[in-house]
Amino acid sequence: MELSNKPSKAKLIASGVIPFAFVILLVAYIFGPGSDFLELGVPLPEITMEKVDFVYSEIIVSVRNTGPIPVEIVMADVNDRIQPAAIEPDRFLERYETAVIRIPFDWNEAQPYIIGLTVGDGTRFEKEIEAAALALEPNFELIGFFAIIGIYVGIIPIMIGLLWLPFIRKIGKNKYHFFLALTAGLLLFLGIDSVEEALKVSEESLAGSFNGALLVATVIVLSFLGLYYSAEKLVKKTESSRMTKPVAIALMIAIGIGLHNFGEGLAIGAAVGLGSIAFSTFLIVGFALHNTTEGIAIAAPMSRGKTMVGKLAGLGMIAGAPAIFGAWVGGFVYSPFAAVVFLSIGAGAIFQVIITILRWVREEGDKNLSSAAVASGFAVGMLIMYLTSIFV
Amino acid sequence: MKGKMLLTLISGFIISIIYFSLPLLIDATEEPKTFLTHSGAVIQTSGDVLDPLYVASTVEFDPMEYLREFNYGRVSQLPDGTTLREFTIIAEDDKVMEVSPGVFYNVWTFNGTVPGPTIRATEGDLVRIKFINNGTKSHTMHFHGIHPAEMDGVFEPVGPGGGQFTYEFTAGPVGVHPYHCHVMPLEEHIVHGLYGVYIVDPKEKRPAADEMVMVLNGLDTDFDTENNFYAANTIPFYYQHHPIQINTNELIRVYVVNMVEFDPINNLHLHGTLYHYYPTGTDTVPSFYTDMITLSQTERGIMEFKYEYPGKYLFHAHKVEFSEKGWIGMFLVKEKLDQKSQSGIEYGT
Repeated sequence: MELSNKPSKAKLIASGVIPFAFVILLVAYIFGPGSDFLELGVPLPEITMEKVDFVYSEIIVSVRNTGPIPVEIVMADVNDRIQPAAIEPDRFLERYETAVIRIPFDWNEAQPYIIGLTVGDGTRFEKEIEAAALALEPNFELIGFFAIIGIYVGIIPIMIGLLWLPFIRKIGKNKYHFFLALTAGLLLFLGIDSVEEALKVSEESLAGSFNGALLVATVIVLSFLGLYYSAEKLVKKTESSRMTKPVAIALMIAIGIGLHNFGEGLAIGAAVGLGSIAFSTFLIVGFALHNTTEGIAIAAPMSRGKTMVGKLAGLGMIAGAPAIFGAWVGGFVYSPFAAVVFLSIGAGAIFQVIITILRWVREEGDKNLSSAAVASGFAVGMLIMYLTSIFV
Repeated sequence: MKGKMLLTLISGFIISIIYFSLPLLIDATEEPKTFLTHSGAVIQTSGDVLDPLYVASTVEFDPMEYLREFNYGRVSQLPDGTTLREFTIIAEDDKVMEVSPGVFYNVWTFNGTVPGPTIRATEGDLVRIKFINNGTKSHTMHFHGIHPAEMDGVFEPVGPGGGQFTYEFTAGPVGVHPYHCHVMPLEEHIVHGLYGVYIVDPKEKRPAADEMVMVLNGLDTDFDTENNFYAANTIPFYYQHHPIQINTNELIRVYVVNMVEFDPINNLHLHGTLYHYYPTGTDTVPSFYTDMITLSQTERGIMEFKYEYPGKYLFHAHKVEFSEKGWIGMFLVKEKLDQKSQSGIEYGT
């Protein structure tokens, strides 16, 4: 037994490694002796302007070489008019290398600009800025401003939403299922909203080589699976710990909504930072109304346990506070790549929460998901979100 | 065992950090570079300067040399007394030239330059041009002017790889004319640089002057049928950074030819003085006394002017977009008190 086992183990390892060896051989051949074989076609340079900042008398452009070949950046222009400029650290960019271009220019507030960069073979790339606005410097005033916005659109509405808890507590089983389904409907809307936003950002600011749509899909699935796994663990643990199942589910919902609100904060901060938004009171009211519904989502499962004000408030913070951090990150250190990733994580988390809620409804409601209460709850949830989204 | 591996990993990590950061440290010791903005501010940078500012030593095609270079050909007399001027023009289309610092563009050339050589003859001379096409596409030479149909350079494409054709015609009419390749797609052959200037002098010479040629052209380096650069004599901003030196009270004569494609018009505005303008140079009486003339495709003429005061004077397209993309230059006018030595440059060898 012992003797026959050892060689078979070696065989197993070998059979696992051999395909890898061939892959390495294949790659080595293409880069080495076989490289002539791939000299068909013309590789075209590509650069992506990831960020444009307007500071005093200067426009600062962050650029990345997103093409298949190294490039040399040779010229900068504003509105298609050539401008003397500087590039740091230097004008030669390897694949995926970044540089910063400083264009001295007396720009005007709120005016649109097109920034152009020309590479060595004469190809010109451009990026349009809807409205120039002074780049945000992280000072205490602005940090406070973003915190207030975050509290206003994130924490307060969710806390208000939580106040529906006593009401939900007093209603019957059917009506309760209606509210749980409503929550799932609300969340589905938020999830789709996050996906849409992530795709939009990747389309507008992410280089083609990042495969924006596939990045979104991959991150959503990873986030979903990660939370799915840890949620299972958490719910299992509730059986042996002090936490009850409703609290565990509410916690998962709060985390999912928190991740979503981080993305939302990111979008708000970035919009202020990029100057593409006029931050009207109307817009903030819209976000606030929209997010009140998120409070209901947390309150619904909690209504079947003991009322724990402290826990409830904590869950509200988990769901709402990330909006503040999101606004800081989005306003001060915005990167489109991070924005896409965070929005996708939020979407994946929300989809996972929906599954958790529906499962719970199914368990509670005699293995039935097609009751009138559930169907109408789901539909009303989506509708409420759509109607409140019009204000945003 | 584990400790050893960790040690190797850490030391490898440190070495790689040193390896990658060393070039950065070397860079850091360099002097910061400076450049001037359009409004005159001085900006410092630790990186590279992106400024289409050509230093004379790095330019492949010297606009200063081209400016006053006239080619009169190999001259001989025919039995009937007519002057024969023979030229050899070679077309190529595989040359890549640095048209602006760092910008490399595939130029198609007559005798290696854009614009091609300025061909100059006197009215009535017999002009004979031996044309050799060393390019990879068919090319021709089509002269604006008066000549027989078979010398028009349109229906007789000259094949690539050494094809030949001899153009022969009597120089006329008096004036300044363009010549260019006339093979389809025509726009492509022109914008890549297959053009030049052909001057026919009157038998009775024009007054002596400091003469120069300016071809107003554009470069579409990214092939989107819009010019990325404009210039007088190909190199953007060249005469702005290398002013053309002239003298006060000396007659200046500029042969201007507009070869810009894509944009329907171009123009030339002169600072500090006005010019007499002779459209196409065919008449001896100027049509305008102005500082602004608008030119359409291949429209051309002669501008004559003098400067009264010394100093720096701009000349540029008053379609300001063109001037901000390179079609701008400067005259540096020097005081010249001795009026008698105003001999100018002799021509007509």
